[in-house]
Amino acid sequence: MIGALFLYPLGYSLATAFTDPGSGFLSLVHFEKAYELYSTDIAFTLFIVIVSTLLTALISIIIAGILTLSETPWLVTALRNLYRWPLFIPFIVAAQCMRTFLAKNGLMNNSLVGLGLMEPLQATSFLDWRGIIITFVWKQVPFVTLMLAGAMASIDRATIEAGRNLGASRLRVLIELVLPQVAQTLLVGLVLSFVTMLSVLSVPMMVAGSQPTMLTVDMAFRINSYGDYGTANALGVISYLIAGTVAWIYLRHNMKREAQA
Amino acid sequence: MDGTVLPAIDVDHLQVSYGSQQVLHGVSLSIASGEFVAILGSSGCGKTTLLRTIAGFQKASGGSIRLSGRDVVNVPPEKRGMAMMFQSYALWPHMTVLGNVGYGLRLRGVPREEIRARVASVLKMLNLSGLENRKVTALSGGQRQRVALGRALAIEPQILLLDEPLSNLDAKVRIQLRSEIKSLQNQLGFTALHVTHDREEAMTMADRIVVMEAGRIAQVGTPKEVYDQPASPFVASFMGAENTISLDVTPAGSGVQIRADDGSMASCIDSVPIGAVTAYFRDDVASLEDPAARIDGSIILPGRITQRTYPGGYYRYVVAIGDRHFSVTDDRYHELDRPVGLRLPVASLHLFPTEQTKGGLHA
Repeated sequence: MIGALFLYPLGYSLATAFTDPGSGFLSLVHFEKAYELYSTDIAFTLFIVIVSTLLTALISIIIAGILTLSETPWLVTALRNLYRWPLFIPFIVAAQCMRTFLAKNGLMNNSLVGLGLMEPLQATSFLDWRGIIITFVWKQVPFVTLMLAGAMASIDRATIEAGRNLGASRLRVLIELVLPQVAQTLLVGLVLSFVTMLSVLSVPMMVAGSQPTMLTVDMAFRINSYGDYGTANALGVISYLIAGTVAWIYLRHNMKREAQA
Repeated sequence: MDGTVLPAIDVDHLQVSYGSQQVLHGVSLSIASGEFVAILGSSGCGKTTLLRTIAGFQKASGGSIRLSGRDVVNVPPEKRGMAMMFQSYALWPHMTVLGNVGYGLRLRGVPREEIRARVASVLKMLNLSGLENRKVTALSGGQRQRVALGRALAIEPQILLLDEPLSNLDAKVRIQLRSEIKSLQNQLGFTALHVTHDREEAMTMADRIVVMEAGRIAQVGTPKEVYDQPASPFVASFMGAENTISLDVTPAGSGVQIRADDGSMASCIDSVPIGAVTAYFRDDVASLEDPAARIDGSIILPGRITQRTYPGGYYRYVVAIGDRHFSVTDDRYHELDRPVGLRLPVASLHLFPTEQTKGGLHA
């Protein structure tokens, strides 16, 4: 089953990516074409996914840190009740919401104007790279926070108290004592988020314009408009290499930890 | 300044609640600088809550906590300037021994070289020299708790709080660490507040013992006072006087006469409560005699030996008297089922009016 449903299509795509359609021989012609047409999009994709991953990490750490260390019960309750919601919203619905929220005359700008924080003339659309990043972060923060807050809740509470007892502020406790103990979980969450964001089609397609755009949109375009499976597969291999690099970093880190333990 | 020495820790009418459940009902306690005080009590009596409230991890709902005169009730734990040892050691697994012990110094901005030097001297004091770069996860339980002690002592605290730090260790290491902590306290002169449910640990380490019962202090005194003159049935039973017997005390001449249900009696001139009393006694104050013996100042109750064990150094017997069973230690060997007289020296009994003991909590 695995062979038929997974390995065969994957192998076939890989083979197509490396085959010259004219001669049928092994060739990098599709990769040359992909690079020629889409090198900007490859860089754009990397930029979007890396920035989104870093922002996701930062916000998740803040939320999980508040959930673990805050002494303000109402803040903890509010955050705990709110932060998971985006988990249950599909990417395409999130993208749709963001279109109405981030547009020039969208809810965000209207609210800012309404609050007197911005002049109507200053309003600009966020429906570009910023929109993609905001949507990705909005969608992935709950996932990473869920893992991170769970890991933080399961560490020995006394290790937190020991730090505060010796004079560490809550911020220092979070950065120096809590985060290192849950780094592994954070890394897993971020790797999974990175790969997810790399493979989402709906968000870049709906939220941002066509130039530059992400590799998923380019692949769909090559197939739907030109039936050009060769270039699409070459782009797929590039995506896979990017994801593979991240997975390799994760595995290497894992092995290092195991060797130390 | 009026020249009087302020107590290192002064807790005044401290109240703590978890939600609607009140855990500490107005606890007052004063601890002098350099004193070693043990808080002793059974599970759920509020002893750990008291310690955690002093450390700042639990909010007080009333009362005050003053450290050398400074009220700290609303001060966060990191600004109270105490050190603490935890039952779970609470070492940071991602750090080395040096990282753990030196963390408090790093927080205080001590230069790296000085941290190394000070950590080395702390480790030397604790017989852990050379382990600076060892991961704490690679240490034994005893070594880990020594590192935790070193971490607490590295900042040279005025006050050390100990939250059952020895209860996870095996018996031998526990006894060794007890005396190490005690001698370090003598040497360095810090004030120590030690929470434990282990009576022997409290007795051997502390200058004063605080026995807590259901969120209140039941008795404060030196180990000897608390052991020999328990203030309540709870304290008596917590300090090991777990045998109880009903007696009747009547005035007789210049003293009193104490009579058991079966008619055996003894007289006594100590001041004891009059009327129906319950006597509490430890198994080592009672002894086994001939059932017909008459000994001044002692009640002899005839009974039968039903069980004999040898814990080492002496025998422990269970003696049945009527439908009651008493535990007694005796150096001599006696056959099972033998009729014996359970000798209770009146002076060693803790007598409390029966009314007071009714519905009381026993350890």
